[in-house]
Amino acid sequence: MSTPSAFRERVRSAIGNERLHVALGRATEALRSRRSSALASLDGFEDVRDLSRKVKLEMLADLSSHLQRFEERLVANGVEVHWAETGTDANRIVTEIARRHGVKRIVKSKSMATEETHLNHSLQQAGMEVVETDLGEYIVQLAEDRPSHIILPIIHLTREDVGEVMHRRIGVPLSSDPQTLAAYARAKLRDEFLRADMGITGANFGVVETGTICLVTNEGNGRMVTTLPRVHVAVMGIEKLVPTLRDLDAFLKLLARSATGQKLTTYTTLLRGPRRPGDECGPEAMHVVLLDNGRSRLLAGENAEILGCIRCGACLNACPIYKHIGGHAYGDTYPGPIGAVVTPGLRGLHGWTDLPAASTLCGACRDVCPVRLDIPRMLLALRREAVREEGAPLSLRLGLKAFAWIAPRPRLYRAATRLARTALRSLARDGWIRRAPGLAAGWTQVRDLKAPAPRTFQDLWKEKKR
Amino acid sequence: MSARAAILSRLAAAQRTARLPASPAAGPIVTPSHGAEECLERFGSELAALGVDCHVEATPARVRECVGALVAGKRVLAWDARRLPYAVDAVLSDAVRGGSPREEQARAEIGVTGCDGAIAETGSLVLLSGRGRSRAVSLLPPVHLALVRPEDLYFSMGEFFARADGRLGEEACCTFVTGPSRTADIELTLTLGVHGPGKVIVVVGP
Repeated sequence: MSTPSAFRERVRSAIGNERLHVALGRATEALRSRRSSALASLDGFEDVRDLSRKVKLEMLADLSSHLQRFEERLVANGVEVHWAETGTDANRIVTEIARRHGVKRIVKSKSMATEETHLNHSLQQAGMEVVETDLGEYIVQLAEDRPSHIILPIIHLTREDVGEVMHRRIGVPLSSDPQTLAAYARAKLRDEFLRADMGITGANFGVVETGTICLVTNEGNGRMVTTLPRVHVAVMGIEKLVPTLRDLDAFLKLLARSATGQKLTTYTTLLRGPRRPGDECGPEAMHVVLLDNGRSRLLAGENAEILGCIRCGACLNACPIYKHIGGHAYGDTYPGPIGAVVTPGLRGLHGWTDLPAASTLCGACRDVCPVRLDIPRMLLALRREAVREEGAPLSLRLGLKAFAWIAPRPRLYRAATRLARTALRSLARDGWIRRAPGLAAGWTQVRDLKAPAPRTFQDLWKEKKR
Repeated sequence: MSARAAILSRLAAAQRTARLPASPAAGPIVTPSHGAEECLERFGSELAALGVDCHVEATPARVRECVGALVAGKRVLAWDARRLPYAVDAVLSDAVRGGSPREEQARAEIGVTGCDGAIAETGSLVLLSGRGRSRAVSLLPPVHLALVRPEDLYFSMGEFFARADGRLGEEACCTFVTGPSRTADIELTLTLGVHGPGKVIVVVGP
């Protein structure tokens, strides 16, 4: 859980970190421009967005039957299906599966769901060795850090940081060359892949009609962890379903373009159960853990729409707030605009009211969302809920009351604005107010306030009419 | 109550009260049909954009010659003979196969596969798992050489799903390989071959 002061503290330290600013600015800008050019390569982009939105919303409206059908198909494909109400349950289930199969070494490909449940910690407590194999996640694990972006986990680190961490933790020669560092990681992780007993993945999509788990990775680690170890466990949020392969095609057209600006992720893998008789590789046993962890509660509320998110990260790159405070400031697994809706949705609003407040409501997230999620509407809904439950501060309530009383009285309103203008102008130097008193102090704590114009719009209007 | 029953009953209740926005009107994606020549041309240009070398050979003998030259002096891991087109196995006599010990497979310098489809629109190779078509061949070696027959070409992934649905259902794994393994995790700097092959070569036969 997060407290308001903890959130402000995280924001303050992020805003003060100039290196972070530069890194975030560069990366988000590059991703935005790649996304734009990739979208130009898709004929009928807007139609594909409409189709994907339609498919997700209709699936969510009947999620329970889709899930049951999905389970049936999985079982028919030879997959063992497990249901987890909470993150703790999911961790317990995965640990039990590992024990049952006599597993010691585990390799993981990038998964937000298991990040959400803190699965690695549970497995390590149970005495198992877990290695993240996505390059970014591997560095995060070595640095004992947390990912700060859905697609680029170490967007907050420089190449020098990465070199230092790898040198310190796995003893490779100090380097700041990304190619060299990636080569060290390749060699190190190759051994892990070959020795591992079990592979853990998330699921980008679950295809109902065929009982298929779809995974996309650029590095190939998703293929490694589902090809080499003898057991594969996929942990999947229950909202990840799409009805048919045809629908999957539409989502795949959007996902890579929105996330990294590729037409298709390098490896798109469709898994339909354990290895078949005659197969020379692939897991002997495959398990799917269906994770609720607050999703069914989200579906019951005003923000059910957010369950249509495909985790592309485009809203992070577009968000002016994310660009300034980075992913860690959001305090949980999902950062950025999507996190500001998902985190209170999954964890409950109590303790997280700062997240929906940390938005300018500019709508850039909605504009770039491949499934057109109306994130600003949902942020406003959360703000309303926060006020309903926790009440607004006294100063705000009194202020609004005073405003409501003055605003419909034109003469009083004009007198009040004149007074405020004179007062503010007396505080200004060179056209800016650097420190305001009383209620306005909060504003000038982190930015300057422009001094009001010498004459009001009303004055100018009157003069023009004359 | 089991976790399954609890989740499903919560969902059923939530669905009754869910305030989901109205879904937009939208039809299925329609891809206009494309001729074989157009498909091959597009496939080639997408491969070039991905940094994949593409050789187009006119006869099976030329295909074998080309493959022979590409694997010369390298430790080869390959699909089984009868899974490879153009009888290219003739030039892969020393190759390690999917059934060989894993350490031997892991030492291979080039992996040779056929394919079960090729997607022109994205420059992707479609590889189904199955007997004699080990998934490791396109994954473990630093170079992946894939043989494509003109009849393997589909314009889009949607077309592949529609036309190859039956075969898709039988196998445990279907992978779309679109270019070499890549990452941009460190300062968005493109790095190839981080886990999968850093180099992909395609040979298209007659």
